[in-house]
Amino acid sequence: MKPRAILGAISLLALSCLRPTEERVERDREVGQATGYGLTVSVEDGLAAVRSLSTPLITLWGSAPSFRFTVSSLGTRELFVDVQNCLPDAELQVVSGRALITPLDNVDADIPTRKRWQVDVNDGDTQLALAPQDSASAEPFRFALLSDIQEAIDKVSDIYDRINDEDGIRFVLGAGDLTSGGTREQLERFQKELLRLKVPYFATLGNHELGTRPDLFHDYFGRGNFHFRFHDVAFTLLDDGSASLDPTVYEWLDGWLEASRHDVHIVAMHIPPLDPFGVRNGAWASRAEAAKFLGRLAEGHVDLTLYGHIHSYYAFDNAGIPAFISGGGGAIPERFDGIGRHFMVFTADPQSGITAHDVVRVD
Amino acid sequence: MRTAPLALALLLQASVASSAFPSPTAPPAAAAAAARTPSPPRARSRLLPTAAAVVPGLVVHGTGHYALGEPKTGRNLLLMQGIGLGIFLAGGLTIVFTGASRYFVAPAATATIAGFGLFSTSYLADIYGTVSTDSGAVRHAYRLPTTWETEMGYRRIQDPEFAYRDFLVERVSRRIGPLSLSPSGFFSTRGDTARYRIEAQYRLVDDTPDDIRFVDLTFGLTHQRYRPEHFTRSGAELSLDTRYDLARLGPTLRGSFIELGAGYALARLDYNLSGVKVPRDLDHVLLGRIGFGVMLRGQSAPGSEALVYYDHRHDDYVAGLKLHGIGSGVIGHFGLATRWFFNDSVGVALDAQAGSAYLAGASLIVRSHEYLPMCGRPCAVLRRKEEAAR
Repeated sequence: MKPRAILGAISLLALSCLRPTEERVERDREVGQATGYGLTVSVEDGLAAVRSLSTPLITLWGSAPSFRFTVSSLGTRELFVDVQNCLPDAELQVVSGRALITPLDNVDADIPTRKRWQVDVNDGDTQLALAPQDSASAEPFRFALLSDIQEAIDKVSDIYDRINDEDGIRFVLGAGDLTSGGTREQLERFQKELLRLKVPYFATLGNHELGTRPDLFHDYFGRGNFHFRFHDVAFTLLDDGSASLDPTVYEWLDGWLEASRHDVHIVAMHIPPLDPFGVRNGAWASRAEAAKFLGRLAEGHVDLTLYGHIHSYYAFDNAGIPAFISGGGGAIPERFDGIGRHFMVFTADPQSGITAHDVVRVD
Repeated sequence: MRTAPLALALLLQASVASSAFPSPTAPPAAAAAAARTPSPPRARSRLLPTAAAVVPGLVVHGTGHYALGEPKTGRNLLLMQGIGLGIFLAGGLTIVFTGASRYFVAPAATATIAGFGLFSTSYLADIYGTVSTDSGAVRHAYRLPTTWETEMGYRRIQDPEFAYRDFLVERVSRRIGPLSLSPSGFFSTRGDTARYRIEAQYRLVDDTPDDIRFVDLTFGLTHQRYRPEHFTRSGAELSLDTRYDLARLGPTLRGSFIELGAGYALARLDYNLSGVKVPRDLDHVLLGRIGFGVMLRGQSAPGSEALVYYDHRHDDYVAGLKLHGIGSGVIGHFGLATRWFFNDSVGVALDAQAGSAYLAGASLIVRSHEYLPMCGRPCAVLRRKEEAAR
């Protein structure tokens, strides 16, 4: 009886998983790539999801203020490029190849984050770039952080209104848990509510997006792990919704850290590697992996780390890097913390780093 | 928070106070009477009770014992399930509805772990009681604590986040009266990673041949070095670790036990990065451990046992379990620890754990022939039994 019991217990232990993020990393690689109707669209670094591809419409969902993409066409075509979740002042330009771009009126004037262009492409590859005019500026700018909306989606509109009232916010970063279970209906609802926001929302996913299909988020909002630059400030968003980073992501991260070593660099993800109130364990599955990760960020001279997951507000340091937990989107709040729903606003200066941060209470 | 497991054990003990079994302090005559329990049903008649323990028993713990004709034990297991479920829900709902408030989460998480322990153990105990046919042999499986014990072996760790794989492990344990000191080490064969630990345990309540319970107060110091990742982790911890003899719930459960432990660890992370001076981080860890174990008999020598356990700690090599879905990282890891002695001196330890990493391995154990000269109650009970036999 004993040997059989021992073997049975060992079999049960083997059911756990060492790389739950592996499938999502593979989906990351596929984001921004689509082929059909004699067209191929390839978004550089996966910084936009191809939401639909047909003739004559290409619909993209932006994950960054600026990105490049290539349209390969068999023959000359008249296309419409619809970009959702973009900066209101974003412009589409030809980088290489021959194409004629004509800006069109917004489909809905009340939705400044959706823009449409007519693009007449020739046979072959045409590389296009979407960016606001000040994309490469060295001036300071402001951005917001909002996470952990979950079941409070019914009242998120007043948070968006409050963000809209803030001056000079260029975009909002989302550190995960946009929905309570990551179902298609919830992602659709989140997207619908987002139309109220006057600036784009660039988000990674949280553990609550993993409630149904782990990669459904990618169909809607693109990659979980990505890196972009704006005003010479580097932003890295990471998918640690499984309380860990996939080994492949460490390879990507090394490249992003190296490329931004001398720049202001902001890294955001959902679960803080270390919970400042550690016995709660609102942190990564392995404290050793957390230390390994934070050491890499410190070596890469990261300037700021942003997290969600804990439905409160904490300001602390990890590996000497300033860190904020802001989970104020409305999900069940941490009681007795005196915070409530909130979002944060940061001022980033490419020359001197993060020069200001504020907590904006909504309730 | 730290006394929660002890309180649970006392609560459990109080709940089964009406049990027909003698207390461990009962006189030898009573213990001898207890030893004359009716012989267990024959193995053939255990098929139905075992099936009942596994399937309907998944919902109603103790079903197997009702089918076995041991309603009192079945009732006690059902009560244990109820208490466990209640404590689990109380702790879990406190976490949910306070939003894991920093003011409530530690006791609530401890309660959740303990509740899960009682709940799951009552299920396993039901199965054990219906399967086990040689509980009487357990009395011969008891062994007094020895003055020293040493263990040396190998562990394989599979962790996709770290390059290390193979470890040599060494542990020495010296017992002086109620106090035991156990220095131990994990050494990567690549020389890049190591863990040094020293543990001091003070036994507050002794086990005896009639009652394999104990209560230990444990203080530990740990230093872990991760050379390729350029950091070290050093910390101290205090925990209360208990073992409760499930024979108190019924004769068929003799030889099985539940373990509960809780505590707190504080560690500092020092980063040794080239060209960057980084201040250290402090990390706080909630310790919680539950397990269900059985004393092995048959071909094994006294002192052999197997334990299936859950360990909430996230700061060791195996850390917390990673899962697909929402709850990844929250819970700790599961393990199976077996100690099998070939004779009075030599045995093997088998170790398997699953969390963020998988760990498996074995060690050779050598223990002294000398029994502890100042072993207190266990020796006294044995002496009384010998006198009664004479």
